[in-house]
Amino acid sequence: MSACAGVFAVSCSGEQPKGATTLQREQLLNQFLAGVERRALRFAEIAVRDRDEALDLVQDAMIKLARNYAGQPEDEWTPLFYRILQNGIRDWYRRQTVRNRVMVWFGRGAKTGDDYDPVAQAPDPAGRSPDEQAETAEAMQQLESAVGQLPARQREAFMLRTFEGLDVAGTAVAMGCSEGSVKTHYSRAVHTLRDALGEHWQ
Amino acid sequence: MKKSNQDEKLARQAKELFDDSVEQLDAATLSRLNRGRHAALAELERSKPVGLWTRWVPATGVAAAAVVAVVVWQGAAVEGPLPSTGTVTDFEILISEDSLDMLEDLEFYSWIDPSDLQTNGNVG
Repeated sequence: MSACAGVFAVSCSGEQPKGATTLQREQLLNQFLAGVERRALRFAEIAVRDRDEALDLVQDAMIKLARNYAGQPEDEWTPLFYRILQNGIRDWYRRQTVRNRVMVWFGRGAKTGDDYDPVAQAPDPAGRSPDEQAETAEAMQQLESAVGQLPARQREAFMLRTFEGLDVAGTAVAMGCSEGSVKTHYSRAVHTLRDALGEHWQ
Repeated sequence: MKKSNQDEKLARQAKELFDDSVEQLDAATLSRLNRGRHAALAELERSKPVGLWTRWVPATGVAAAAVVAVVVWQGAAVEGPLPSTGTVTDFEILISEDSLDMLEDLEFYSWIDPSDLQTNGNVG
């Protein structure tokens, strides 16, 4: 049996679980979303390399979770939320592919994302020196670039396991695949990133 | 350094950078995230499940209407149409001007009615 079916039995019933009133559920969901929204934004932003698009994707994921899965136990929310977000990101890539084909057809070319500047978008409230800030931002830019060049499934596995701290089972639910596939994708992703970032990070 | 240690170090460094970038999000972005979260919670309010009794109200209403319809239809089929002549006659009596006089002499008519029957009976 796959991890998706075995570890997290996911249903779409929308029934309220016993022992939690609607108000309590709303408060729990609010706490969950408040805790996950920033990381989810950066997660989506690294994937699509556009903050506005990432904000839209995160909001859509939050709404879909509230609409369809608020009745699920809280410990299932994290993998469910990231599964919804992943699906949104994949749909976004499909739309971009179609859009780029159309633009190429009309001779307009594709948007390259070269205008993306994480340094400009990342003020430093921690009060670090400009050199430290620039160094950290450069390292993050290298990491984002390397992660962005990974195949989609490897990128998903790496980000879910490393950035979000999901275990193998939770990552399998979020990705909609088996635990074995998660391990394979993650291992290949780390190997590729080590080769790409090795000279800077070792 | 062993490969697994290198992998762990890379993952740790990556996570630290990611966490740092999360902390650097500006106020405008956080505000938009906050608005998005409240939109999601409003969606939860909209999709709140209705009470059990409200689910049964339409079904009960339809069932009651069906029962009434069947009873009325069965009654009409068994009894058939009312005789129209009798109904019209009674109605004409009621709306005639003499009907009020008849009501005033109700005792007389109640007395004459058995005697009339007796007479008819004798005749018949």
